[in-house]
Amino acid sequence: MSVNQALAQVSGDFMIAALIVYSLAVLAFAGDFAFGRPRRAARPAAGNAAGTTAAGTLAAAAGDQAAELAAVGAAPAAAAAGAGMTADGAAGPDGAGGACGAAGAAGAAGNGAGGSGTVLPERRESALRAIWEAGPWVRAAVTLNAVGILAHVVAVVTRGLAVHRAPWGNMYEFVTALTCVAAIFFGYVMLRYRAWALGVFVMGAVVIALGLAETVIYTAAGPLVPALQSYWLSIHVTAMTLATGVFFVAAVLGIMYLAAERYRARVAAGKAQPGNGLIARIPSPAQLDKLTYRTVIFGFPVWTFGVIAGAIWADQAWGRYWGWDPVETWAFITWVVYAAYLHARATAGWRGRRAHYIQLLGFASLTFNMLVVQVFITGMHSYAGVG
Amino acid sequence: MADVHTPRSTSAGTGATGSVTRGTAPEPPHGGPAQPPVPPAGWLRWGWRQLTSMRTALVLLFLLALGSVPGSVLPQQGSNPSGVQQYFTAHPALAPWLNRLGLFNVFAAPWFAAIYLLLFTSLVGCVVPRTFRLAGAARTPPPRAPRNLRRLPHSASYESALPPAAAIEAAAAVLGRQRFRLRRSGAGDPTSWVSAEKGYLREAGNLLFHLALLGVLVSIAVGGLFGYKANKLLVEGQGFSDTTAALDEFHPGRLVSGSDLAPFSLTLKSFSASYFTSGESRGQPSSFDAHITYSASPGAPSHPYDLRINRPLSVDSTKVYLLGHGYAPVFTVTDARGRVSYEQATPFIPANTGTMLSEGVVKDPNASLGFMGVFVPTAVMVGGTLESAFPAPDAPVVSLIGYSGNLGMNSGVPQSVYQLDTNGMTKIAGSPHLLLPGQTWRLPGGRGSITFTGYRQWVTLAITYDPGQVPALVCGMLALGGLLLSFMVRRRRVFVRAAASGAGSAVTVGGLARTDASGGFEDEFASLAAELATAGPAGGSAGGAAGRPAGGSAGEKLEPSNQSETGA
Repeated sequence: MSVNQALAQVSGDFMIAALIVYSLAVLAFAGDFAFGRPRRAARPAAGNAAGTTAAGTLAAAAGDQAAELAAVGAAPAAAAAGAGMTADGAAGPDGAGGACGAAGAAGAAGNGAGGSGTVLPERRESALRAIWEAGPWVRAAVTLNAVGILAHVVAVVTRGLAVHRAPWGNMYEFVTALTCVAAIFFGYVMLRYRAWALGVFVMGAVVIALGLAETVIYTAAGPLVPALQSYWLSIHVTAMTLATGVFFVAAVLGIMYLAAERYRARVAAGKAQPGNGLIARIPSPAQLDKLTYRTVIFGFPVWTFGVIAGAIWADQAWGRYWGWDPVETWAFITWVVYAAYLHARATAGWRGRRAHYIQLLGFASLTFNMLVVQVFITGMHSYAGVG
Repeated sequence: MADVHTPRSTSAGTGATGSVTRGTAPEPPHGGPAQPPVPPAGWLRWGWRQLTSMRTALVLLFLLALGSVPGSVLPQQGSNPSGVQQYFTAHPALAPWLNRLGLFNVFAAPWFAAIYLLLFTSLVGCVVPRTFRLAGAARTPPPRAPRNLRRLPHSASYESALPPAAAIEAAAAVLGRQRFRLRRSGAGDPTSWVSAEKGYLREAGNLLFHLALLGVLVSIAVGGLFGYKANKLLVEGQGFSDTTAALDEFHPGRLVSGSDLAPFSLTLKSFSASYFTSGESRGQPSSFDAHITYSASPGAPSHPYDLRINRPLSVDSTKVYLLGHGYAPVFTVTDARGRVSYEQATPFIPANTGTMLSEGVVKDPNASLGFMGVFVPTAVMVGGTLESAFPAPDAPVVSLIGYSGNLGMNSGVPQSVYQLDTNGMTKIAGSPHLLLPGQTWRLPGGRGSITFTGYRQWVTLAITYDPGQVPALVCGMLALGGLLLSFMVRRRRVFVRAAASGAGSAVTVGGLARTDASGGFEDEFASLAAELATAGPAGGSAGGAAGRPAGGSAGEKLEPSNQSETGA
């Protein structure tokens, strides 16, 4: 079937529109950093922020409702139990969730301390309300982000309609689709965990990746070679696209964790002033750590499924379900490294920074597979259509 | 990594392997005199603990990833033998050393096997004890409720109109309906309480994941032992039976012999390839169709089948795949006396898969003639050089370089059918010579002639049998299922205590998620607490199992707080 050029044109226009709107959203996220409403937790009132500066200030990303990031912080790892217990006046051991836990779901316990009475944990306010109260910059950023996602989805869908297949048959299409997944997944994370403080970083990375796709590896809409003419293309590559988009978000979170953790360590060592600068406004290392972990455990089964689906397809197309083709090998390496990350988080001495290095190594191998192996190393997966 | 042995006390929120205290090994006591300083059993136990520790597993995972890297960077014997040859030619000093390290066959190398076997041993050493522990936990009732539930990460309190024992029964009914495992305060307890626990599937899923990986490894081994792979090149019009003699390449598993092959036969009727003729993808293939007939066994009826990429043929659990294609120009060679000494389609190998410019040789020992040829499907002259403009045979031309003399085919040294040994031959004048279909080149000196009568197409087929395939798929899906369970299920405990307060009782609820990988227990606890608070006398009757409502008064006022959320 031939390519519908009119639809392909529409797709291209929407992709550019999405790129522009995302860029504006990033500006708005940055504006929130620069001029946004002062955050409650930054005020002395949030007493127990002492020593947990990063946690204290950042938690505030949510604006007035300190509860916001609590969803992250107050999650019930035993180690973080302290956070939930702030009601008793004790800060968490490492400030996990620190200030933000108090007003959150878990905090109710303390309110009832001393009396019988009826004290039930409160559910969090709605995400939209929280966004509204976070100030005009956040409102604008979230709105632009939503508009950008809409344009992006339209662009991907029309591309698919134009070429009569799943629109991820070459590298350009793959990158546009995975950034779409990353944007949507981040939208979910933002609402679920009130994490707009991360917007400038995650969406900034999305803008860079999408911009590079448009300029460096742009490929006009075209049909597929026989090896790709299979419904397994939709299944295998969709899963890989999804997982890559999710791991992309995890990688940005991991980098932010390392920055925030370094800052926390410097503050603890007295080398940096608490509460200053950009970094002070992102969530605490403990929160970022948890959020990264949740992102990875969302992506890992999807990646696993993608590898299995790829094996089934390889069996259909090439007569073996696993042949250590370079791309298969690197998909395996990526899987093993992310598995190592999951194990590292459960191993004494490997939690924290080291685990995050492993996670970033996983994303590095994924990126290497996508950008180097598929393009430059000859194998059965040489479909990138770049160059 | 100085202190290796750390009894691991991972608590909540741990990773894929959850809380693992690995490896108390059942070591058989050795008979020797137990010397106090270093008992051998102690050594062994220590070694086993090292192997099954999480750190070792982590290091092995790293080694596995690292060890795979050369397998993707260097050409591998299994997938790219000609690449290995080229590497040896290009790096004569380095290549033998790499070869000694097994780097051209990484995934079959002993050191690679050592890594994954150690990893799986470590895995077994970890998973088996955990399985017993889970089985034990599933038979043990939840722990007694702690004294002060407000100290737990999640807690709530409410007042009930029921007396303590009945309030606890009502709460137990609610928890029981949600399929928590329960433990109630006994008769001797001064206070009333109920403990509830749920989410054992998390650990079960985790164990399933690891055991299923083991299953994948076993399936691969089964495939390697009992399966086989073979290749066959077929020109249009030719057929073959699946016997070792007829196959071009045959790679049997360790426990496979030629008689195990499925007795089918197959004929290639015709092959067609089509290509995009316009746009950026001009010249790229759009479809390949191999029209074949096959019969499952000698004498069985023959069936037509359209073999395509992504559409293999399945006969008796053996599969036949379309792998590659090419052109086989048909030549007729006559010797010096004018007799036809060679007449057949000669497969040429694509030198450029984009344009299908193909190379091959014609060997005619009877006429003492040999030709090195190039087949050009769509010939164009670019600056005096013959090139192919398009992969389809729109303007086919062959270019031949002729040789006469001894082909060396009787020397006993095996020769490739795609190479001409010109050592004992002399080049014929007038080479290279271009021929269009139907044209004949009369060789100078009355040596004979060669006619390019036309061309046919050939395909390469892969014939594979892998009995480990289905088990590997099943294990893969089980692993995925286990992974999802271990990430999505949280193991959590909820405790309820009631103390007399006025006519009714004051009830406290505490919650603790032991593992909560994907989060969300706080929301679950909030709903649960609200439900418990409203499950007064009215709620008990619904449960049937435990509720024995004592009074008729509506217990709670207090709207469940989860309704306070407003969709602004």
